[in-house]
Amino acid sequence: MRESVVRGGGVALAIVYAAAIGWLFARQPQTIAQVTGGLAATVGAYRIDQQAFDDGLRFFRADQFVEARAAFARADAAERDARTQFYTAYSYYRQGWGRVYNDDALFTQGLKAVDKAIALAPGGRLVVDDQNLQMHSADELRAELQRGITREAADFNPLKLFRSRK
Amino acid sequence: MSAVREAIVLPVIFLTVTLLAAVSPGPPVTFAGPSLFALVLATMLVAALVRGHALLPAQLLHGSRSILANTNGAIVVAAVFAGSAQLLAMLTPRTGLPLFFVDVLLFVLLLNTLVTQPARRELLRSLAITLGSALILKFVVLAGLSDPTGSRTARVMVALFDAATFGTIAQDPIQPAAGYLAFAAAVLYLVGLALLVSRPPPRGRAELQSAPRMQSIRA
Repeated sequence: MRESVVRGGGVALAIVYAAAIGWLFARQPQTIAQVTGGLAATVGAYRIDQQAFDDGLRFFRADQFVEARAAFARADAAERDARTQFYTAYSYYRQGWGRVYNDDALFTQGLKAVDKAIALAPGGRLVVDDQNLQMHSADELRAELQRGITREAADFNPLKLFRSRK
Repeated sequence: MSAVREAIVLPVIFLTVTLLAAVSPGPPVTFAGPSLFALVLATMLVAALVRGHALLPAQLLHGSRSILANTNGAIVVAAVFAGSAQLLAMLTPRTGLPLFFVDVLLFVLLLNTLVTQPARRELLRSLAITLGSALILKFVVLAGLSDPTGSRTARVMVALFDAATFGTIAQDPIQPAAGYLAFAAAVLYLVGLALLVSRPPPRGRAELQSAPRMQSIRA
């Protein structure tokens, strides 16, 4: 009886351990927070720090984007929440946006963040209901960021000076 | 072999080897799987372990054992293979001529081991020497030649060496933690191999088993 318990437990342990290793290969986490958060998300137990998220949103609306990203990073340390990643990407867009030219480095980071948000969203569809934003879906934001780092003839159109930040 | 050793200790050891050997300390931290050639080398290594009686499949998988016991045995065999592949991938340099030569060297050494069919103790000693040498080559010698943080003289020497060899020897810089992880993985792997067989078969067992059959054939 005891031997079968040991053997059964060994099989379960090996399967869980091998699955965890497989998960590390697939997800490539960079920090311990990402490891623990990712494992928690796998069993549906992951929650963001709501207080830090609210702080981030307040900074974001006040155009304090660096502070907003710091708060969002604290709120979603494991980078497993699509909505927080969406706001992070949006902060890169708003900070990098310029009437004459955009900051390519910030837009590229924004693109990475919005891709992460899309990957985390169920079915890849993410819509954020926030009246302070002009782009509500991750697809719109992604397209805008992508347009911002693409070089094309339309970039030299002087009417671009009259466009506004979304 | 006790149930605890077979069901828990050995899988945990070899899966830990797989994990340690897969980690490439950052930034960024990455988990890399074995290359195709590492899988080939691992197959040869497992075959050498079986032929040298360091891994006895009949002790782990047999019709007289229960399904659960055979599942444990299969997990051990799979974990040994995964650990071997990942360890060999970790000990192989990443690029250039060192990658080619170490791959060829490991291939020839394992082929030689397969052909000569050494006894278990000699096989384990031989493996310790092979793995230790590969570890020193990659994490001491090549890492030293590719270290970008040395003194000015060392950096000049590295640059001259790199130019003289057309950049075919120098590797990407290796994080100091990588060497320690590799050492831990190699030691753990050898400990696991030593624990694989509880009662090694006596010398010449294969010959003893085949002797009566040979006599009957002669008769």
